[in-house]
Amino acid sequence: MPAVTTESSPAPSTMGIAEKAGLQYEVEQFLYGEAALLDDRKFREWLALVADDMHYWMPIRRTVDRDNLDLEFTKLGGAAYFDDDKSDLSMRIAKLEAGSAWSENPPSRTRHFVSNVRIVDMEGDEIAVELAFHLYRSRLNGKVDNWIGKRQDRLRRVGDGFQLCRRHIFLDHTIIRSTNLSNLF
Amino acid sequence: MLETRGLDGSIDEDMISALIDGEQGTIDRRIYSDPEIYKLELQRIFARAWNFMCHESQIPNPGDYFINYIGEDQVIVVRDENGTVQVLLNTCRHRGNALCRAEQGNAKSFVCSYHGWNYGLDGTLLNVPGETHFYRDRIDKAAWSLVKAAQVDHYKGFYFATLDPSAPSLHDYLGEVGRIGMETMTAQGEVVAVDGVQKNVIDCNWKIAVDNLFDWYHVRISHGSAAKAGFVNLRMMMPMEQMVMLGEYGHAIGGPMLSEAHQAEIDKLSDGERAEINALSDEERAKWSPRIGERRPLRPKAAAEAMGPVGVRATGHPNIFPNSWISTRAMQISLRLPKGPFETEVWWFTFMPKKYSEAERRAAMKFIRLSFGPAGLLEQDDGENWSQSTHASQGVVGQTYPHNLQMGLGQDEVLEDPSGQKRIETHVNEHAQRWTYKCWAEWLRAKDWDELKKTRSPSPTGRI
Ligand code: FES
Ligand SMILES: [Fe+2]
Repeated sequence: MPAVTTESSPAPSTMGIAEKAGLQYEVEQFLYGEAALLDDRKFREWLALVADDMHYWMPIRRTVDRDNLDLEFTKLGGAAYFDDDKSDLSMRIAKLEAGSAWSENPPSRTRHFVSNVRIVDMEGDEIAVELAFHLYRSRLNGKVDNWIGKRQDRLRRVGDGFQLCRRHIFLDHTIIRSTNLSNLF
Repeated sequence: MLETRGLDGSIDEDMISALIDGEQGTIDRRIYSDPEIYKLELQRIFARAWNFMCHESQIPNPGDYFINYIGEDQVIVVRDENGTVQVLLNTCRHRGNALCRAEQGNAKSFVCSYHGWNYGLDGTLLNVPGETHFYRDRIDKAAWSLVKAAQVDHYKGFYFATLDPSAPSLHDYLGEVGRIGMETMTAQGEVVAVDGVQKNVIDCNWKIAVDNLFDWYHVRISHGSAAKAGFVNLRMMMPMEQMVMLGEYGHAIGGPMLSEAHQAEIDKLSDGERAEINALSDEERAKWSPRIGERRPLRPKAAAEAMGPVGVRATGHPNIFPNSWISTRAMQISLRLPKGPFETEVWWFTFMPKKYSEAERRAAMKFIRLSFGPAGLLEQDDGENWSQSTHASQGVVGQTYPHNLQMGLGQDEVLEDPSGQKRIETHVNEHAQRWTYKCWAEWLRAKDWDELKKTRSPSPTGRI
């Protein structure tokens, strides 16, 4: 994992506070909007926000000793829960739409919470964002799952909006305590 | 709970026999929820069996360790200074604290975080704080080493361990069917483990998850959405020609097969020609054999020697009894680890042939990732079926109605090859599940390995 930056915003120093606040607002509104699409089960509309070169990745996290922290996450190319491109994501969405996707029929009820949003890098038309998430899922009548962690997203400015071109998901869990991961993060 | 028990609440042999009705093809649902049965499974199956630990490439250097389980006993699988793989119970001999809390890593020795007893990589108790002042030099350190697995061995780099000193050798335990199962993983040559084991918890009994690995009946129904989404093709998902091999002690292989005619076509190809076909995409490879649309990589000539003329045609799912499923084109092992009657941890290990090109590796990894694990387009839809099935076994009325395992019962023939290899060639069926439960009952009935060796069923012959 890249080192965590404590810089509140790496935006060019030429940016005034108002401009920074405006950018932060835009980024947050985009993230809230796409979270709402997922929670409202508007998966096609969510997919429309995904760039063609999307990389959607969730490595495996492990409990390791302090001396072995380099082993904490599997690396790119190792085993992972998700390592999807856009075509994989669209397949997941086609599956969600099929009535026989039993893991999501009856559909889960999800709520994506997004907070601690920080713009950590800006390069050309791309903005790297790091945030904390909490995905709550309630299934059937009594099953509850909570996934909490850090996300490293990359947004690309397209017209007057954004597209999502990277979502790297780092769970704060090791063994997944849920029956499946049938939802999008 | 079973109504008929001994005075101490225990269950006797007759009760176990009554749970599995091989003639009717039914099983008593209480095997999924009864706590006494679960306890007996830990004692008489897991503590006795050879259990898969890890692959040698996961712990290449001295001090490298990987944590696994034998039943609910946690074990450290570690390479010691001499390069020998040791399997040690992960519990301190002083007050039982766990020595390793991490899932894997590298250690110089194992120091207990409670009072500091220090054990070597081979489990020897090296140092006890206060040995002179507190113990007055009266502790017999040699007697308090970590508990070692009774036997540790590997099959071509895949390590197994048993806690029972009277268990047969790994080779004999696996028997022909278990060995063919293992050979499927090395058919393309030596393999190396991919870093990372997927692990998730399903609220189901471990046996329903094992039962499912042979289940080619559910695929079209449970996983129909993966076909609709374009990930797999329905015809491939439920192949009509199926082969079942049943081995002593409960090992089995069930699922698709190559017909003799198809194998004869493959036999004509040199290894070089097979490698060329294997380098194609799945779709292109399927075109090469239009009749059955075989998408799996072709096995090289050496595999036929190692697996035998029948074994080489078995392309279904092997289970190494009790709970190690060799899956996904024989590149993964999935363990169904028992965590109480109502909870199972599902682990996925992944292996890649060393000779794979980057492109072959990438294609295989993609197929694996999208198929299995909790986010797999196939596996996503399995867990709730198992969980609902397990929980229904607690209904006081529901549990009095047995499960139906009658598909194909008494309607097939065990064929014997001149080489001696036995198999059933048929349609989708439940032979492997019936065999698994039959052997399961034999394991539970037998008081020890000697009795199990005497009473276990031989690989079946004739009408089945
Ligand atoms: S429990 Fe390990 S040293 Fe006391
Ligand atoms: Fe399945």
